[in-house]
Amino acid sequence: MDFLIEKATALGVPTLLAQVGAMLAVCAVIILYISVAAMFMIWWERKISAHMQVRLGPMRVGGWHGWAQSIADGVKLLLKEDIIPTQADKLVFALAPIVVFATALATYVIVPFGPGLMVKDLNIGVLYYISISSLTVVGIIMAGWSSNNKYSVLGAMRSAAQAVSYEVPLVVSVLGVIMIVGSLNMQTIVEHQAGRWGPLPWNWMIFGGGLQVVGFLCYFTAALAECNRMPFDIPEAESELVAGFHVEYSGIRFSMFFLAEYANMFVVAAIAVTMFLGGWRGPDFVSPLLGATLGPKVAGVFWFLTKSYFLIFVMMWLRWTLARLRVDQLMHLGWKVLLPISFINLGATGLWLVLKDMR
Amino acid sequence: MSVEQGLFYFLAAFSVALALIVVLAQNIVRAAVALIFSFCGLAGLYILLDAEFLAAVQVLIYVGGITILLLFAILLTSRIAGKGVRVLNEQKVVSGIVAVVLMVLLGLAATRGFEAPAELPKQPENTPRIGTLLMTTYALPFEAVSILLLAGMVGAIFLARKEEK
Amino acid sequence: MDATATTTLPQGISFERGETGEEMYVNMGPQHPSTHGVLRLLLKLDGELIKDCIPYIGYLHRCHEKIGENRNYIQIIPYTDRLDYLASMYNNWSYVKAVEMLMGIKPPERAEYMRVILGELQRIASHLIWMGTFGLDLGNFTIFMYCFREREMVLDLFESVSGQRLNYAFFRIGGMPMDFPETFYTDCVSFLEWYKARLPEYDRLLTDNVIFQKRAQGIGSLSREDAISYACSGPVLRGSGVRWDLRRNDPYGIYDRFEFKVPVGERGDVWDRYMVRRIEMEESARIVEQALAQMPSGDIMGKVPKTIKPAPGQVYSRVESPRGELGHYIVSDGTPNPYRYRVRSPAYVNLSAIAAMLKGCLLADCVAVLGSIDIVLGEIDR
Repeated sequence: MDFLIEKATALGVPTLLAQVGAMLAVCAVIILYISVAAMFMIWWERKISAHMQVRLGPMRVGGWHGWAQSIADGVKLLLKEDIIPTQADKLVFALAPIVVFATALATYVIVPFGPGLMVKDLNIGVLYYISISSLTVVGIIMAGWSSNNKYSVLGAMRSAAQAVSYEVPLVVSVLGVIMIVGSLNMQTIVEHQAGRWGPLPWNWMIFGGGLQVVGFLCYFTAALAECNRMPFDIPEAESELVAGFHVEYSGIRFSMFFLAEYANMFVVAAIAVTMFLGGWRGPDFVSPLLGATLGPKVAGVFWFLTKSYFLIFVMMWLRWTLARLRVDQLMHLGWKVLLPISFINLGATGLWLVLKDMR
Repeated sequence: MSVEQGLFYFLAAFSVALALIVVLAQNIVRAAVALIFSFCGLAGLYILLDAEFLAAVQVLIYVGGITILLLFAILLTSRIAGKGVRVLNEQKVVSGIVAVVLMVLLGLAATRGFEAPAELPKQPENTPRIGTLLMTTYALPFEAVSILLLAGMVGAIFLARKEEK
Repeated sequence: MDATATTTLPQGISFERGETGEEMYVNMGPQHPSTHGVLRLLLKLDGELIKDCIPYIGYLHRCHEKIGENRNYIQIIPYTDRLDYLASMYNNWSYVKAVEMLMGIKPPERAEYMRVILGELQRIASHLIWMGTFGLDLGNFTIFMYCFREREMVLDLFESVSGQRLNYAFFRIGGMPMDFPETFYTDCVSFLEWYKARLPEYDRLLTDNVIFQKRAQGIGSLSREDAISYACSGPVLRGSGVRWDLRRNDPYGIYDRFEFKVPVGERGDVWDRYMVRRIEMEESARIVEQALAQMPSGDIMGKVPKTIKPAPGQVYSRVESPRGELGHYIVSDGTPNPYRYRVRSPAYVNLSAIAAMLKGCLLADCVAVLGSIDIVLGEIDR
C-alpha cells in the first residue's frame, strides 16, 4: 500500500487524499479477492467432498462442472427475505455478522501475497493477526445471544469456549518460529526462510530448528478449531444443534458468516504457509517471461496461492473424513494435549537456539 | 488540523461516547458490546502514540479476553434467552456529579502537571524493547504477576467446582 | 421462554426427585435431523449432563393392528412391509411364519432357502443404512455415501427378484410367489465379492478412527440385568453381554444348517452395539454364500388351501430381525380375518431402555446412543 501512496503523491495528489484513496483501493481489492476466493473455495469444497463420497457434485450451473454454482448460490442468498426474529435484539443481531466479517477482513492486512505485496508491512504482524482473530469470538457471542433462541446461545457459548481455548496453543506454537526469526514481521519471517540453496524446501521453517514440525501440526490443529471446521465444528453441528449460533440468520446476513468462515480459513492457511512453509518463496520460472520487476512478484503470488490452497485442500479432506469431537473431548484435546505439546515445542526451540549460540 | 489530530479527536469522541453508553444503557448486553468498541477505540489511541505492541495487546487481552469473560458471565447468570437483563441505577445524580468533579480534577492534573514536548520523539521498535525490559529490569514484577494470575485461576476453579456429595 | 411452564408431563410419569431447580428441559424432535424419524425426546438437562429422558412416540401411528383385524390373512401381507420399512423382508417373514404355524403348513426346502437368502441380504441392507446414518449423526458424512452405494446394489438385487425396491410383499403363506431370476445368482455372488472388499474401507473410516472410538466407547452403557429386564433384544441385548440370538437359540426355518458367529459384547456401551452389528454384517454375507451353495431345486410353494381360514387358536411366532426379536401374535376365530393381530416390535422395546442408557451421558451423546439402538419409527408406532 505504501507503494500506491508514493506513486500517487509523485503524481501530485495531496497526501491525505492519496492515503485515504490508497486505503480504499486496497480495501476494495481485498474484498474482491475474498469474495472470489470464498466462492471458489465453496465450489471446490463441494467438488472435493463429492468426489470423496463417490458422487459428482455441482455439474450443471455454468456448464463445465458447475463452476457458477457458487455465484448462483450467492445471488440466491442476496435476494432472500431478511428475517429477524421478533424478540431478537435488532441492533446486536444486525451488528454481529458485520463484526465477524470485518474482523476476518481485517486480518488480511498482514497476509504476504508476494515480495512487497502486502497491504501494510506491520512490525507486529503476527501479534496483530492474533489479536484481531480473537475479535471473531465476540461476534459469535453477539450472534448467538441476539437470536433469542436457546440453541443459538448454547452454540455461541460452545463456540466461544472452543475458540478461546485453542487460541493459546495457536499462539504458543507460532512462538517457536518467532523465536528463531527474531521478529514479528511477516516479510522478515518469509525472507528468513531463504538460504544458501535458494528457494528450496529444506530452508522452510517446518524443517527448521527444534521441533518445528510439531509446531506446525499443533498450529494446524488449533487453527482448524479456530475456524470451527471439522472435526471441531460443534458450533455448527447440523445434526445436533441445527447450525448453532447462526440458526436464525438468513439471506445476506448468513452469507456474511459463511464468507467470514472461508476468509478465515484462507488467512489461517496463509499464516501457516508464511510461518512454516516458506511463504511465497519458490522457484522463479516467470522472470524470463515477464521481466525482472514483475516476474518475482507473479512467481511469489503463484507459489503462495499454491501452498495456501494445498493446505485448504487438506482442511477440506479432514472435514469429510473425520467424525466430530464432543465438546468436552474437544476441550480435553485443547488444554491437556495441544497445550503441553506446544510448550514442549517452545522449550525445545529455546534449547536449540541456546545450543546454536554456544557452538 | 493534521490527519493525526483529526484522528485523535475522532477516536477520543468514539471511545467516550461508547463509554457513556456502557454506563447509561438499560440492556446489559448492549453495554457490554459498547464496552468492546470503546476498548477498540482505546487501541486506536495507543497506535497514535506509537505504542503498537500495547495496542495489539489491548485488543487481544481486553477485547478478546476480558469482555468475553463479561459476556459469558452475563449469559450464564441470566435466564437463557429471556428478556434482556435490566440495569438498575438509582444513584444517577450523585454519580453524575462525582464523574464531572473527577473529570475536572483529572483534566487539571493532565494539562498543568506535565511538560508535554512539542512533538513526540519517534520510538524505536516497541516489542523487543518491552520484551527486554520485562526479562531484565522488571523480571520480578513479571513473575509476581504470573503467580497472582495462577492464584486467581486456582481460586476460580475451586469456586466453580460443584460440591461433591 | 421458560420451558417448564409449557411442558405437560404425562400422567403418572414424573422426573426423579431432588431437582435443584437448575435443570433445563430440552426437546429433541419431532423434527430433528438425528432422531431417525418423527420421535420426540424430552431431555432433562443439568448443563450438558442428561438427567432423564422421556421418549414421546405415536407420531407415525397408522392403526396397523386394527387394520389387520379388518383384512383377511393374505391382504395383511403388504401392510406388514410398512412396519419396519428398512427390513421389510423380516416383517413379511415373521407374519407369514405365524400364519403357517397356526395352520400347520410347512413351506418347501427351496422356499426356505430363498427366505434365508433374502432375509440375510435384507439384514445387510438394514445394517448399511444404520451404519451410514450413525456415522452421519456423529459428523462423518462420507460413510453415509459409501454405505448407500452398497445398499443400492442390494436394492437392485431385490428389484430383480420382486420388482420392488423397498416394500416387497414377497412372502406368501406356504412359500414364495416367484423363483429367483436367472441373473440373480451371478449378481448376488459378484455383489458379495464387492461388499466384502468394502468392509475394510468402513473400518478405516469408522472402526479404526480414534475420534469415533472416543465418541462410542464407554457411552450409553446398558447393564446385562437391565437389558434383560427391559426385554431388549437383538444387537442391544447382545451388546450387553447376553448370548441370545433367535437364529441359534430358537432356530426357525433352516438356520441350523448354516455356520455363522453370533457376536456378543461386554460392557453394553455404544461401541459394543456398533461392533455387534459390524460383525453381523460380515456374518450375513457368509450365510448368504452358504445358502446359495446349498440351495436345492424344487417347488417354491407348499400345499395351501384356497382360502386361508385357520382353525380357532392363537400363535406367537418370532424372527431375528436386524433390530431384534420381531414377533407376531395372532388370534384366529375361524373367520378369514384374524380376531386379534399384534406385532411385537423390537425397536419399541429397545427404545424403552433409552433412559437407562442415557444416565450420566452428555447431550451430544444422546445422538450416538439413539443411533446405536437403531430405531425405525414405522415399527415403533405401527
